[in-house]
Amino acid sequence: MTISLAIDTSTSRTSVAIIDEGAIVWHGHHDGATSHGSALPTMVAQALAFQNRVDQVVVGMGPGPFTGLRVGIAFALTFAQARGIAVIGVCSLDAIAAVVQVHSGFIVATDARRKELYWARYENAIRVEGPYVSIPKEVVELNLPIFGEGALKYQLTTNDEIVYPDMAALVGLSHDQGSHVTEAMYLRRPDAVPTSERKP
Amino acid sequence: MSQPLVLGIETSCDETAIGIVRGRTLLANVIASSVQEHARFGGVVPEIASRAHLEAMLPSLEQALKDARVNLGDIDAVAVTAGPGLVGALLVGVASASGLALGLGKPLYGINHLAAHVSVDLLSHSDPIEPTIALLVSGGHSSLLQVDDITSRVIKLGETMDDAAGEAFDKIARIMGLGFPGGPAIDKIARGANAQAIDFPRGLTQSSDWQTRPFDFSFSGVKTAVARYLEATPDYAQGDVAACFQEAIVDVLMQKALAACKKTGIDSLVIAGGVAANSRLRAVAQLRCEAAQVRLRIPEPGLCTDNGAMVAALGSLMVSAGRSPSPVGIDADSSMSVESLLVS
Ligand SMILES: [Zn+2]
Repeated sequence: MTISLAIDTSTSRTSVAIIDEGAIVWHGHHDGATSHGSALPTMVAQALAFQNRVDQVVVGMGPGPFTGLRVGIAFALTFAQARGIAVIGVCSLDAIAAVVQVHSGFIVATDARRKELYWARYENAIRVEGPYVSIPKEVVELNLPIFGEGALKYQLTTNDEIVYPDMAALVGLSHDQGSHVTEAMYLRRPDAVPTSERKP
Repeated sequence: MSQPLVLGIETSCDETAIGIVRGRTLLANVIASSVQEHARFGGVVPEIASRAHLEAMLPSLEQALKDARVNLGDIDAVAVTAGPGLVGALLVGVASASGLALGLGKPLYGINHLAAHVSVDLLSHSDPIEPTIALLVSGGHSSLLQVDDITSRVIKLGETMDDAAGEAFDKIARIMGLGFPGGPAIDKIARGANAQAIDFPRGLTQSSDWQTRPFDFSFSGVKTAVARYLEATPDYAQGDVAACFQEAIVDVLMQKALAACKKTGIDSLVIAGGVAANSRLRAVAQLRCEAAQVRLRIPEPGLCTDNGAMVAALGSLMVSAGRSPSPVGIDADSSMSVESLLVS
């Protein structure tokens, strides 16, 4: 019996769940693009009050807006270290795709801010392209159904149920070694111009 | 709990730092700096710093535990810099500290970076520092504080109106092509040079300033004066310019710090922050404090710049003073006031 603490902060939603062999025994979420830092520990404390034993941590590694994304990953790493348990990272977009009931091709797109989307293309629920970051137009041109927070924001879908990573799916993905992600998926380089290239 | 074992995490700027103290004894002080990654940008790039913090966190933590010869399970409390600083950078530290504290089931203290700079002095000296005047000078801050009790009562007497002292060093070093960070570079080339060669202005030291802003600083004037001098003097003597610029800054810092001692009747001064590692400031402070019969304390240079030991040190004092831990779910506070010592 493996009890997992699942965490995702790759979207504007902070999600926490305790999953016992595929069954969600505790879950909580908090919406707000700048509240991951306070929402995550608060919810984890509540989750632990309900179920203190945790055997592994599964965390969404993005892609997602950097600051919030890092909160989830940093917390997951040190929590696991403190407990002496494993931490497994997976692609957050895959945890949205896992609950899409479409067998042909589709796209999952989350909000990358700056008028762009983080997205990946799936076929038979398997990621075949991405994740990438690009403007909505490029995603729309693929002519496939689109799901996720970014799709909703740019009115590329009417499905307002499949929006955020699914916590049970997140843990489900951790069973497949091939889907493990070890580094934060930023997909963008930091904004900075070397002094030598700066205009005088 | 007589001698709490406290782990401190610092990520407010470009240093990922973890310190461990037992009471007032320093056990580990691990610093992973991303400063080299910022050098070609001429200053700290927040996103680069934040990414580096995440990457360095676990390796630094493991190294600190190894250095201190303790296990995570032995830790009594976790302390973390909650502010002030770069918000994205702070958040990596606060989230990491929250994860540790919740994972261990131990209390978390979200503390003030500036107060931590002052309290690190306790790791070099065992006698109490309070009450004391503190001159806090770094790349981000220049302030004069009255420290009645570092765990509960600090009063801000004055602060910089424009650049921080360390920032002024960085800017002048950049103009002179000395690289980043500027403080150590200027300190080095100023050694042995003539510090009286050029008379650069001392900000906010006119008689009217002593009436209205006795304990505030302004370094933009001296910065502009140096820049103008360099422009007008193509064959300038690099060492002399550095020495005279440094002298102007050091002179103002010490004038104001000792004026604060005199005004408050407190005959103790602690100088803290990255600029406190400057050799000229340390020498001038020594001389003038002796003359003024003020007891001077400056942490060893390695503890002046940002580090985790100072965070652990203040955390340890909070534990010993019986302060309540911070609530679960504290946020980073990029503009945390120096008078707010602990997130409650
Ligand atoms: Zn500092």
